Amino acid sequence: MYKVVVPGDFISEAVSRAGEGTYVEEGKVHAARYGIVDERGEIKVVPLSGKYVPAEGDVVIGRIAEISFPFWIVDIASPYEARLHMSEFADTRDEKIEFGSLSRYLDLDDLIVAKVTNVDVMMRVDLALKEDFNLSHGGRLIEIPHTKVPRVIGRNGSMIKMLKEKCNCFIFIAKNGRIWVRGREDDMNLATEAIFKIASESHTSGLTDRVAVFLDSFRLKRAKGRR
Amino acid sequence: MGLEIVDDIRKDYVHDLIGSGKRVDGRGFREYREISVERDVIKRAEGSARVKIGNTDVLVGIKLEPGEPFPDAPDEGVIITNAEFVPLASPEFESGPPDENSVQLARVVDRGIRGSEAIDLEKLCIEEGEKVWIVFIDIHILDNDGNLVDAAALGAIASLMNIRIPNERYDLTGENTLPMRDTPVAVTTVEIEGNILVDPNFNEENAATSRLTVISNADGTISAMQKSGSGGLKEEEIVEMVEIGIEKAGEIREKFL
Amino acid sequence: MKEGKEKIELIKEGKRLDGRGFDELRPIKIEVGVLKRADGSCYFELGDNKVIAAVYGPREMHPRHAQDAKMAVVKFRYNMAPFSVDDRKRPGPDRRSVEISKVSREALDPVIMREYYPKTAIDVYVEILQSDAGTRTAGINAASVALADAGIPMKDLVSSIAVGKIGGEVVLDLNAMEDNHGEADMPVAMVSRTNTITLLQMDGRLEKEEFERGLKLAMRACHQIYELQRTALIDRYSESVDVGEGEA
Repeated sequence: MYKVVVPGDFISEAVSRAGEGTYVEEGKVHAARYGIVDERGEIKVVPLSGKYVPAEGDVVIGRIAEISFPFWIVDIASPYEARLHMSEFADTRDEKIEFGSLSRYLDLDDLIVAKVTNVDVMMRVDLALKEDFNLSHGGRLIEIPHTKVPRVIGRNGSMIKMLKEKCNCFIFIAKNGRIWVRGREDDMNLATEAIFKIASESHTSGLTDRVAVFLDSFRLKRAKGRR
Repeated sequence: MGLEIVDDIRKDYVHDLIGSGKRVDGRGFREYREISVERDVIKRAEGSARVKIGNTDVLVGIKLEPGEPFPDAPDEGVIITNAEFVPLASPEFESGPPDENSVQLARVVDRGIRGSEAIDLEKLCIEEGEKVWIVFIDIHILDNDGNLVDAAALGAIASLMNIRIPNERYDLTGENTLPMRDTPVAVTTVEIEGNILVDPNFNEENAATSRLTVISNADGTISAMQKSGSGGLKEEEIVEMVEIGIEKAGEIREKFL
Repeated sequence: MKEGKEKIELIKEGKRLDGRGFDELRPIKIEVGVLKRADGSCYFELGDNKVIAAVYGPREMHPRHAQDAKMAVVKFRYNMAPFSVDDRKRPGPDRRSVEISKVSREALDPVIMREYYPKTAIDVYVEILQSDAGTRTAGINAASVALADAGIPMKDLVSSIAVGKIGGEVVLDLNAMEDNHGEADMPVAMVSRTNTITLLQMDGRLEKEEFERGLKLAMRACHQIYELQRTALIDRYSESVDVGEGEA
């Protein structure tokens, strides 16, 4: 069971274990966030809310927001925009990308899966495309606060596994709180509803069980409806 | 960017010096820069004073005009204090509507005068409920080398102490003078490296995270206070700053008012 | 502070007109997360003051030249609703609200870990819906909770209250009647954990000893308010809590 803390709360004297969401002052670890204390390993405060800040290695879902040769400017649901260099395409194809032709490869509002390759001190964020990067067809984008992402995944991936099975959907969760769902229309609707339920009840315990009950009852109702 | 780096270096320099017990301009921590008060410098104004504290140069002019009283005080004159940070005074100042710093300066000076009840507002009544004198205190910054508020407050009370009420200009009769009932004086201190410094100059103001202005009266009571800046202060520091404020105000009052 | 023309007796038989003792706060009510669209929000009542604070951000700072390459820029807007006072307040910023916005922002600045979000803006909006003296302190209390609710990294919460002098006595938390007819008003904001004062203003007339006593009174009350702010935040997630884990 975990403890909710507010900024400034004293957490521990184990200064060497102070991790994310904490700060150390006069030999004590204090909460730097409103959130939940996690003392497995490092002492962390997992925030209950807040904006996504990209870090190297994160896999994110981005939306092409602007084309500014030789970059695509990508909205990654963060206060910081990211950029994707045209060499991402030039490398894989044996052709030269001309000025003004970037939109032929990726156009405004296209959705991509990308990995954050670098974040510099000026908060310039660089991306590299993942394989199967293009999300523009046959699915649905859901956006939840990035702080809820661990809950949608669940302990050891238990929640996401269940969602995929019971909703019969392909579900991809990115670090920045964007989730891609692909499947039959009514399956996607069910997955969407379940994900929002998880996000809004993310701070409660026994959530996996409750979501299971929710999904099963829905299936049952629908089965009856069809009969 | 270039400017910012220079600022950072200056900040460190100021901190280092103060850490070793010195100030940039060689003053003691409790020492004001040289103060001068020149009165009646503007002929058109009903009262005026030019105050210099070191390089800081502030001109205060007072105009009186008949106007309507506030409905909740029909027999009282009105004080309106305004400060203009004209671009001539500093590279940081821009033309345009008053920014939060100039608004704050004017309001703190205003509160000091009001709180001290230096002006007998009832003496500014011309016709109850109809017509009273509006006292416009306009603070014009000419050169900003820090601690504008002490200079402005001193300029305001010095100007007020010999205002002439312009009865003739408006075909009115009555007293042409308005004796002040008190002499509020502002003293600003900053905290840097655990030391309290009076009368911060521009560099010291920038190096300090918070400063406190204390405006006190002839009898040692306090009529206004304002902490500003993005830092915090401890109770003991504040108490000390208030003590220094009252003491220094006494010295300034004796010498210049 | 306006001086009351007709002298009103603000203290009778050792009690204030609303029955409070000298060191007694008005009732306080705090609700967290009251606005859906804001990143963080808080509704705060202090007696008859009703204020609401919203936090947006960190978000992209506009205009770009106002960005700070090293840290987030905090913007604070204190605004009174036209119907919040007896005589309708003309909408929009006036000099009073410009000053209050400045000192309120500076009261919160020391706790916000702005270095976490270079180049961004954190917008804090405080709306005074109903006013009964002490609105800036209520606004700071609300804003502090709303900032936490928005997930902004902070070193502490900030708590705020005013003290003043009425009928010759130093008292806590003046209401409008007391403020209008009192002798002095002194709003204070403080970080309770470290007893650090982050806002101090005063107007009226106080002896040095009265000031010192008032400051202590305000500091004690800030501790009380801090407990209420903290409880409001904790209670929002009072159910047992769990966190997941795993990688995307």
